[in-house]
Amino acid sequence: MCTLLVNATMIAMELKSPEEILKMLEGYRKIVLFGDSGCAQMCDVGGILQLEDMEDFLRQNGKEVLGRIFVEGGICDTNNIRQELIKNQEMLERADAFLIQACGVATQTLTELMPEKESFPAANSKFLGSMPERFVHEERCIMCGDCILDLTGGICPIARCAKGILNGPCGGSMDGKCERDPDTDCVWQLIYDRLKALGKLDNLRSIWKVKDWSLARGPREIIKQET
Amino acid sequence: MKHSQGFPETALKRMLESGRFTVTGEVGPPHGADHSLVLDRTNLVKDYCDAINITDNVRGIPTMSSMVCARFVIQAGAEPVMQMSARDRNRILFESELYGAYALGVRNVLFITGDHTILGSHPQAKMVYDLDSIQALQLASHLMTGQDLAGDELEGVPAFYLGATLNPNADPMELQVWRVEKKRDAGAQFFQTQAIYDTSRLEQFMEQIEPFGVKVLAGLIPLKGPKMATFMNERIPGIKIPKSFIERLEQAGDGLKGDEKREAVRSEGLKIAAETIKKVRGIRGISGIHIMAIGWEESIPELVRAAGLYPRPK
Ligand code: SF4
Ligand code: SF4
Repeated sequence: MCTLLVNATMIAMELKSPEEILKMLEGYRKIVLFGDSGCAQMCDVGGILQLEDMEDFLRQNGKEVLGRIFVEGGICDTNNIRQELIKNQEMLERADAFLIQACGVATQTLTELMPEKESFPAANSKFLGSMPERFVHEERCIMCGDCILDLTGGICPIARCAKGILNGPCGGSMDGKCERDPDTDCVWQLIYDRLKALGKLDNLRSIWKVKDWSLARGPREIIKQET
Repeated sequence: MKHSQGFPETALKRMLESGRFTVTGEVGPPHGADHSLVLDRTNLVKDYCDAINITDNVRGIPTMSSMVCARFVIQAGAEPVMQMSARDRNRILFESELYGAYALGVRNVLFITGDHTILGSHPQAKMVYDLDSIQALQLASHLMTGQDLAGDELEGVPAFYLGATLNPNADPMELQVWRVEKKRDAGAQFFQTQAIYDTSRLEQFMEQIEPFGVKVLAGLIPLKGPKMATFMNERIPGIKIPKSFIERLEQAGDGLKGDEKREAVRSEGLKIAAETIKKVRGIRGISGIHIMAIGWEESIPELVRAAGLYPRPK
């Protein structure tokens, strides 16, 4: 079930530059690499191949790579990763630092589980996106905490309007494109077209109220009560 | 919407409601701390305009605060229209600045979405957009009822003549028309348009917003030359300058050089603007013009005279 979820939507990320990675690892010699088969693999930052490449790169730059821990599923699944840590305990104890080729959540999960050593982020987490084709990721959601896709015909203006406005489009929308750059669609044009096709243009006739952005700010948590 | 004080009587409101053709102009705030530039620029144009807009960090290029500049416009003996963009302030700062602006004597306020910062000199800035321009209008209207957004009673109730922008060039037209209605419902009494060159879209647009009963000032940006026109087509959101105008500017002053050439090109630019004024005056529902000179304040007196709109009624 978890993999299905991960396949449907993912945290899109990119590896940091080699210079940046070497800079953050300055003063640490023995490194353990982390990757996973979820978002990290799909974004080509922490799949098996990228872990191998990183190992070669770090070796060439004078580091000792003690090993790679590749997790089936996501590093964010704490129970899952805990098993891996127990299995690799001896190696982890010898390490000076960990390099996490996955999202910011993964790095923080490992920081919490192994506070005695530092976990470094090898990737920049960028957005929640879809993957229309291999190597292409498009932002779709910024997790605003109060989803309004029901009003917009399933297209998110918060994540996909360059200004995130609620009563769009702004005056910069021309020929279906956004004022920010001519390659990006104006999402309000897309919403308009979609609602028109659905016969729901009335959704756009009244003023949409001021948003409660406090729901979009962290730290947030969800604790589900069993029923 | 209920207003405890109603809309204040501003010169702009009186002009627009009198049915006389109204002229507003724009003064760009200094890119630095020299307030005398605001006074100078205001003095240059004040006899030619019924009210003077103060822009608000256009394209995210930082300039002197619009509230402060509006105050200097008053000091120079003119009436300001203070612009406020939703890009750089959240609801708290909107409220705070509206109280301050009122206390400083500012009565006309115009709300804009604000250009994306990527178009200016500080593309790395974090944009705010806590509200959009329509919600900012609602907020201003709400403050005029004597309460803030939390429902707390105000120590002194502000009253503003509220304005907004519209862009007939923007898409989709139907939705842009509804946005005018939403802005009116949120409290906007007058509208200034994005710069108009080809007047046919404006004409179509005006027909559609006629039922809303709002006052519209057609926006103009006089063109200094073909380079500026091309730059604007590429970099200023929501503007469409027809090729034929750019060609006229290219051909102006053929055979001339240096200053003479420049003068010829500029006067062609002013000629185009004067023709546009003539055309928009013929469009039903247009109540006046709004000249955005963008650093070429000298063009405002020339244009107003050329259009036969000088002297301005007192
Ligand atoms: S409305 Fe909020 S929760 Fe829904 S898709 Fe957009 S950003 Fe995500
Ligand atoms: S052009 Fe459309 S997508 Fe771009 S900022 Fe304006 S409303 Fe948002």
